[in-house]
This record gives sequence, structure tokens and C-alpha cells, in this order.
Amino acid sequence: MTTTATPHDLGHVDVATARPRPRPWRWLLGALIAVGLAQVAWFVTHNPRFEWPVVAEYLFDPNVLAGLGTSVLLTVVAMLAGSVLGVLLALGQLADFGPVRWVCTLYIGLFRGIPPLVQLLFWFNLAYLLPRLSIGVPFGPTFGSWSTNDLITPLTAALIGLTLHEAAYMAEIVRAGILSVDPGQRDAAMAMGFTGGQTFLRVVLPQAMRVIIPPSGSQFISLLKGTSLVSVIAMTDLLHAVQTVYNQTYQIVPMLIVACFWYLVVVTALSFLQQRLERRFGRGQRSTRGEWLA
Amino acid sequence: MTGVPVLSVRNIRRSFGEHAALDGVSLDVAQGEVVAVIGPSGSGKSTLVRCVHQLEPIDSGAMYLDGELLGHEHAGDRVRPLPPRRVAEQRRRMGMVFQQFQLFPHWTVTRNITEAQVRVHGRDRAQAHERAVELLAKVGLADKADAYSRQLSGGQQQRVAIARALATRPRIMLLDEPTSALDPELVDEVLTVIRDLAAAGLTMIIVTHEIAFALEVADRFVFMDRGRVVEQGPVADVLGDGRSDRLRAFLSRYTQQRGSAREEGARV
Repeated sequence: MTTTATPHDLGHVDVATARPRPRPWRWLLGALIAVGLAQVAWFVTHNPRFEWPVVAEYLFDPNVLAGLGTSVLLTVVAMLAGSVLGVLLALGQLADFGPVRWVCTLYIGLFRGIPPLVQLLFWFNLAYLLPRLSIGVPFGPTFGSWSTNDLITPLTAALIGLTLHEAAYMAEIVRAGILSVDPGQRDAAMAMGFTGGQTFLRVVLPQAMRVIIPPSGSQFISLLKGTSLVSVIAMTDLLHAVQTVYNQTYQIVPMLIVACFWYLVVVTALSFLQQRLERRFGRGQRSTRGEWLA
Repeated sequence: MTGVPVLSVRNIRRSFGEHAALDGVSLDVAQGEVVAVIGPSGSGKSTLVRCVHQLEPIDSGAMYLDGELLGHEHAGDRVRPLPPRRVAEQRRRMGMVFQQFQLFPHWTVTRNITEAQVRVHGRDRAQAHERAVELLAKVGLADKADAYSRQLSGGQQQRVAIARALATRPRIMLLDEPTSALDPELVDEVLTVIRDLAAAGLTMIIVTHEIAFALEVADRFVFMDRGRVVEQGPVADVLGDGRSDRLRAFLSRYTQQRGSAREEGARV
């Protein structure tokens, strides 16, 4: 209802004294959410098959923690190495020298297209293709030679596979980040006499980070979960550690809950770290909440 | 003109496909001289300064800074392009101010001014900082030393950009439409700074749409149209006898547009 004031009434209202509007749909939705949550809580606490005591027993089991350590180690190393390689690939894709561009595009197409599980199996079985690995002049003398089976352990195969896979994804993320920076910034840096390398590392990349970090965070999380694949090449990661237990005890659900718990702990820690990084690289930018980040 | 010009541009061409942005431009700038480059949009004014600063390659002709060939070196009886590192060294002797300011948003005002001094010219931080303080005072922004560019108005950003370009004591300043992206009420603060630089004897090329200002501050005007220098001469003669119809038409059209735009409060 609209009320039309006569000229006589003008100035008699102050919106500061307004009462909130009744919002019945919100009350209904709130009630539905409360009932739903209560139901889930009841199910989780009153279903004996969750076997919470078993969860508690194995939560800090040394084998589980060792598996967790392996998963985190693989994630961090593959992420760091993959990011460095990804930056180089992104630069290669933006290079003005054709062959470099083609090779980088080919790499990304190949390694983004092959499932990581297949890559892990492939690298683990590299010895079938190359019995010996050697360093030397191509088609010339060799300086050293090693048996592939000695070099390719489950750990190295997992690291190589995850890193190469990760690099292909990071390359696309970094490329999008670089392209998001105003080309005028590059001009300005070059105009001041910075070299190409200084321009990239000091001016372009720090600004590109604002665009690079959010998808990289998701990438980090999916990589952590992706480490569960390494159990196929007999690597004892977190999932493999709980599987080893439930293969003997058949306590599948509680052991999976143990794994879920630790994955969620690490992912939550990562999200926090991501938030910190976003603030760090958002300096001089207005935040979504409107205050200045400094 | 006495001695070697600070900047000498000889018959340069620059094409984008079929379109010749610069179609044989020659220009000499003497020590301490201020040259205003005027002309309609798309006449090649900005391309000229971008080519001089080697942000864009030229297809033919040659450019010299203090008599030194820009961008190329002699090799036998021909020339070949300089390696990027040497090009960067040549750029360090010129200062450039952009239409869109192009301050680095992830650095404070002070760091914008000190970084090139430290990384490129090898000065120590304290020395560079001293110079930044001095320059910020000169452009009237001493209180903004720790601000980020987004916290500044356009006029303030452009004054910082000028201070940044001056920090390394360039032989020549190239200003590419320094006030075109500014709201009308912010133009004057930037023009005041440029006027001070001219009075201090800095060698400058100013590409501008501010005709009145250009004629006031410059020693010489260069009128460009369709990639060529149509006319040039002392600013006092810009409306003198023997000026081409094209220049007359440009100046009258421009002052008319400018007047009506000012009334509407629009940006030009």
C-alpha cells in the first residue's frame, strides 16, 4: 500500500524508526533448514554403523598419519614443481617464436587430455619403454647411465605423473592471469628501462596473481584429492593407509571417515592459506567488501 | 639549432597492415626545446612517441638519441636490431608518460618512483627514496607517498606518473596525451606540473589535445594528419600567414568542439 502525504504531512516521517518487514518465506526456509540439519545430526550420532569409537581409535594411528604425510608431501611438491613448469609453459604459449608456442600448446593438450591415473601407470611402467636412462650428447657420447627400474620408484613415478599433469592445468591458469594484466602495464615497465624478465617478474606476474590464486587454490585441493590415485602404484598415501586397515578389519565406513576427516582438515588449512595469499596480492585493490587492502 | 639534436627522427614509417600510421615522419628536438604534437585522432601522434620509445617497431627510417642510433647497431655495411638488453638501456635515457597513467597498482606511490632507480640504475634505496620525496614535493603530492594508485584521483595519478618518469633524470620526456583521460576539473593540476617542467628547461615532446595549453607552453608545434607532418614551426606562427587549410580547419573545429564540450561538462 502506498500512502500519499498531503503537503501538510511532509517531514513527519523518519525512516530511522522503521520496523522490519515481516518475511514469512524466510521463516519457513529457516525452519526447513533447521529440521534438515537436526535429522542429519540424529542420523550421524544414532547410527551404530558409523562406529565412532573405531574412528577415534584410528584417527591418530601412525600408519594413517604416515599416509597423510605422503599425500601432503606429494601435493606440495607436485604443486610447486607444477606451478614453476606451468609458468614456463604459459610464457611459452605467449612467446612470439612459433616452435616454442607449438611445443607448449602440444604439451598442454596432451597432458590435460590424458587421465592422471593413466599417466601414473605409464610412468610407473617406464622401464618397459626405456630400460636404461642416460645423460649425454644426443646421438653422441653418454656421461652416465642408470637402470630405469632403480630410478622409477612409486614415489618418483607419482611425483612425475602428478607434476606433469598439474603443470598443464597451471599453464592455462597462469596464461589467463597474464592476459588479464593491462598491456599498458608492460609498456610502462619496459618504458622505464626494465628488462623483459624484470617486467614479467616484478610488474606483470604480481598483478596476474590476483587472477591466478583462486583457481590455483581449487587446483591444489583437487591435486590433494588426486593423490588418492597413487594407491594403484603401491604408494601408501592416506587412502591406501585406511584401505590397508579395513581390508583386514572390514570397518570400511569408519576408516573412510578417518580419511575424510584428514582430507577436510588439510583442505580447510589450504583455504585459509589461499585467503591470506589473496589479501597479500590484492594490495592496492579494493576488496569485494569495499575496504582497502594494505 | 646548435649542436646535435637530443632527438632526431628521420623519415620513419610504421604500418599496421595496409594502414600507414606513420608515413615518413621527420622531426628534430633540440636541447631544452618543448615540441607540441597536435592533430586529429588517428593522425599518428601517439604512434610517433611510442615508436621513439621503441614500444613499437618502425618499418623504415631511423631515429637518433644524442646522435646515437636508436634500436639498431652497425654491423658491416648494414644495421641490425639491438639485443633487448641494449634497447632497455636506451629507453632508460627517455621518460614516458601515458594517457592512462599506468602506475603500478601493486606498489605504493613511493615504490613506483624508486623501483626503476634501484633495479635499473643501481642506486641504493635511501638515495632513491630521497629523490622520490623531492619529486613528490615538486608535483605537490608529498602527503601521498604511501598511497596506492587506486586511492588517488586521475590527476594525482598522472602527477605521480610524471614524477616516476623524471626519477631517472631522462634526456627527453615523451608525454602521450597526458590529460586526455582526465575529468575536466583535474586537467589543470597536471598542466601546471608540465608547465613547471618546461620552465625548468626540460626537453619534451607533448602529444596533446589541449591546443591552448600546447601553444602556451611549447616552443614549436608539429601538426600531423594521416601519418604525416603537415606543418611545423614556432608556436607564435601557428595561425600566421601561409598556414594550410587543413591546420586552420583543425584549429577552428577543435576550438568549437572544445567550447561546446566544456559547456556540457563532457570529457574530450
